[in-house]
Amino acid sequence: MLLISWLSLFTWSSITISPLDALQALYQFDQDSIAQHIVRDLRLPRVLVALLVGACLAAAGVIMQGLTLNPLASPSVLGVNAGAALGMALVSTITPWFGLLGTTMAAMIGGGLAWSLVMLLGSGWRTGNEQGRLVLAGVAISALCAALTKALVIIEEDQASAVITWLAGSLTDARWQTFDAFWPVAVVGLLGASLLSPSLNLLQLGDDNARNLGVSIGFVKLIGSFLVLLLVGASLGAVGSISFVGLLVPHMAKLLIGQDHRRFLPIAILLGASLVALADTLSRAIIFPMETPAGAILALIGAPFFIYMVRKKTL
Amino acid sequence: MSLSTQQLSVGYHQKAIVKHIDLNLPEGKIIALLGPNGCGKSTLLKALARLLTPMQGEVQWQGKALHKIPSKQLARQIALLPQTQPIPEGIKVKDLVAYGRSPYTGFWGRTNQADQEIIHQVMQETGISELAEQLVSELSGGQRQRVWLAMTLAQDTPYLLLDEPTTYMDLNHQVELMHLLRRLNQQGKTIITVLHDINQAARYCDHLIVMKEGHIIQQGLPTDVLTRELLKSVFSLEAQIHQDPIAKTPMCVVE
Repeated sequence: MLLISWLSLFTWSSITISPLDALQALYQFDQDSIAQHIVRDLRLPRVLVALLVGACLAAAGVIMQGLTLNPLASPSVLGVNAGAALGMALVSTITPWFGLLGTTMAAMIGGGLAWSLVMLLGSGWRTGNEQGRLVLAGVAISALCAALTKALVIIEEDQASAVITWLAGSLTDARWQTFDAFWPVAVVGLLGASLLSPSLNLLQLGDDNARNLGVSIGFVKLIGSFLVLLLVGASLGAVGSISFVGLLVPHMAKLLIGQDHRRFLPIAILLGASLVALADTLSRAIIFPMETPAGAILALIGAPFFIYMVRKKTL
Repeated sequence: MSLSTQQLSVGYHQKAIVKHIDLNLPEGKIIALLGPNGCGKSTLLKALARLLTPMQGEVQWQGKALHKIPSKQLARQIALLPQTQPIPEGIKVKDLVAYGRSPYTGFWGRTNQADQEIIHQVMQETGISELAEQLVSELSGGQRQRVWLAMTLAQDTPYLLLDEPTTYMDLNHQVELMHLLRRLNQQGKTIITVLHDINQAARYCDHLIVMKEGHIIQQGLPTDVLTRELLKSVFSLEAQIHQDPIAKTPMCVVE
């Protein structure tokens, strides 16, 4: 079923191409090759990037929730998104100094620093207790990073629009070179996440039980955090800030499949991929000639589902 | 001696609760750790299972410091059942018990035929076979305790460490558990358990270790350890020692 939904995404995006028949009619000369060019050079990399972004963010959400035992843990809630945004903003505004780093690296470093700060402040490494504190720390750090980002945008006005586009999270600019830079990191991150999933299962039993069953907790948390930075940094670097996927998709997958990380992680990856691809497709369809940022669409899809889950059971 | 401590001090937040303990835990016995609340018996047990890092001294397994042994390897030697356990969401009883096999399974955590047999066996021994398909979170406290015990037993370790395993259990399950520990002991397991009930300890254990304020006050056979003076000095209890009419073990009766 998921495979079909995944496949249907390709057809969906080619259906949204069909309004382009109008465009083709305008450029009547050589219509076939242009349609093909659009599909091959614009649509295909865009869909692929969307799928990968969804997969990476979903996997990152699964790892973060698994490591912290906090159902709200996700890149956007625990400050990774905001930190990455700040990193990006720094790179694009204070160019001479930070410009040497790529945007992806900047996003990773910013996100990593913000997340470490949140984990320290919220004592996130001690699992089990004081779950509220972690989220509070995440919200606080996110707010701080967002404020700094805004300040940078105001100071450096000429770069502002790029940063704002990035903050909204849009796949408009996803091209083959985006995909080429993205997929190796994504594949490493996703493979790592799958290898980590048996240990994540044991972590759910609490630190004492996990250690007792032979899990090296420090090692798992270190590797897990590294994978999160890889997955989130690569996604954010490719398309900008996209929230809700990391928070929501792990819960959707758990609802469908149960609590075994080995089984729901692949489902979460598929769901996340489908969701972002769907959101991107809709982002073109809603106000047709214009594009709505995919991030906004995701929030539109995500919020009702989240409310439904909160109402249905205690997260 | 397989498990021993050298000048072990361990505690929380820089504060030592167990102080300079030298201890050899005799192999092949059922050993009870006794003492008033806060005496450090649970802390000692956690240190023995490397859940706490010593502040001074060390715990040794076959002459080697615990922290130098790879965690997975150690998890095949020593298993601990903590006193309080979380209530895992959405995990079935049989799946939780299967997690006990993790130290033996490969990278993906898949269980093989032999693992399944052990899982089946420990679920029978702990009387939870009929709960296999239920969610752990929907069980009663006593049932859940037996599920966690089954998981610990599935680890199939020569050393079994239990922290007040009889808490939350009905009396009949407590007795069943003590008999189960006896059986496991006869199969060759060394069992170290914190117990609250002194009479239970005297009746079912071979070796008692009595602690107070982080130190070991007395250890040995129940008949040697349980005296009027000890009960008074350690538990501030005026009690007489009688002989259990059935098991012929010492039994304390409060005056």
